[in-house]
Amino acid sequence: MTKVIEVPTHFDDRSFDAFAAGFGEWPPAEKVLIDARGTQWASPYGLIGILTAGQALAEAKREKPLLTVPTSDEVKRYWARAGFFRHAAELFELHGKVPRSGPTGPSDVLLDVTPVRASEDVHGVVHKISEGASRILHGELGLEMKATLRFSMALSEACQNIVEHAGTSGWVAVQAYTFRRRLGRRVVVIAVSDAGVGFRRSLESTHAKRFGERWGDGAALEAALIQGVSRFRDPGRGQGLAFIKRFLDQWEGKISIRSGTARLSIVPPWDEDIPLSDHLPSFPGAQVQIIIPAQDPKSR
Amino acid sequence: MGHVLREAVAAPYRDLVTRPTGAAVRTRIEAALADSNCLTALLDFSEIELVDLSCADEVVAKLLLTGGTAYFVVLQGLREDHREAIDHVLTHHGLAISAVPPGCRAPRLLGWVRADAREAFACISESGPLDVTGLARALGWPESRSREALGDLTLHRLVRPVGEFYYPLQTT
Repeated sequence: MTKVIEVPTHFDDRSFDAFAAGFGEWPPAEKVLIDARGTQWASPYGLIGILTAGQALAEAKREKPLLTVPTSDEVKRYWARAGFFRHAAELFELHGKVPRSGPTGPSDVLLDVTPVRASEDVHGVVHKISEGASRILHGELGLEMKATLRFSMALSEACQNIVEHAGTSGWVAVQAYTFRRRLGRRVVVIAVSDAGVGFRRSLESTHAKRFGERWGDGAALEAALIQGVSRFRDPGRGQGLAFIKRFLDQWEGKISIRSGTARLSIVPPWDEDIPLSDHLPSFPGAQVQIIIPAQDPKSR
Repeated sequence: MGHVLREAVAAPYRDLVTRPTGAAVRTRIEAALADSNCLTALLDFSEIELVDLSCADEVVAKLLLTGGTAYFVVLQGLREDHREAIDHVLTHHGLAISAVPPGCRAPRLLGWVRADAREAFACISESGPLDVTGLARALGWPESRSREALGDLTLHRLVRPVGEFYYPLQTT
């Protein structure tokens, strides 16, 4: 038996739960086929979500899953340009013609899909992002110059969460695009995902007791994002997410973290997301999305 | 700091990011200080591009938290984002450090100290060494308040007490 999981036509953080629901219990017992033929668009969050699923299946020693690539040439070219297929080929048996990566140069892809396995990778990510981030954040989004460095700092801290807490490797991707439906403005999106233990298991031994029966994926996310707790007893820990929250507040940005069966978001005024969604379909590890919108031209 | 970073990561990066990098940099600084007779360590960040919170915590906060050290630490060459990261982590720990802004001689405080200690720090940085009576006179405080503020600054290693006087930390 093969379990077929359809990738949503428009694959982003909102449609992610439908994708996660396709797997049922983790890890699924059957062979998995991820069907992206009908996909018309995928955000960085969606792309690295697919890789995370492939990674989790490999780490669970399941049979290598299949992935049918999008039918649309345009979609395929974008996925290739974002570096998706390069990594997908290691985790999936690919079905369908995969284009070569497009030419390099100024692009909306600020950071290709990049694996994060160790702290050296975080250095590489920060180094790589610096030039393009300034062009997009200052030039296109109208953020002040110092925003570029705060942005790099946020990226660094988000990637380090994988190295420090996941217990396995993960992925990061950064892209600029126009958020037509929700905002009608350009945004930069950082997506970070891992197939690791998730927030609940990471924090369980040190924090579950004080939450009592409330303890679960949602409570663990609250503890990390709202209260700034960490699994380490070192009092210097847990500041990264607090800092990210602070600077996103200044720019009306959004952060959402999905882990296990819950998703917690700090919701800016332009969005209508639910702050805490619980009882979602289970998915391995943790997925973080940070959205920074173009500043309102009136306030520039 | 740029030189220490390059040695610590064995790569040409200019970004002080990640905890392992911060810990490696701090270890090298501590080793250099252990071999030195200098009282004050001046850490120059002018060759550093990015400082993230994890690294600021590992390098600066943990350097200050190391107990039993005889030296004082002053930062220089900090850009606004560096200051922001370092100020954030030090405030979190209830620590403070003296930092010399580019083009200035008078240091500023980053992190957290009580308001009186902050005012006393600014006064000593501007006027030079003062004793309890001198500070009280300069700020129009009773001596008990002046003594307490100077005690705070001494505890945070933000002034150097010599006899009855409290000296600003050397910045050159």
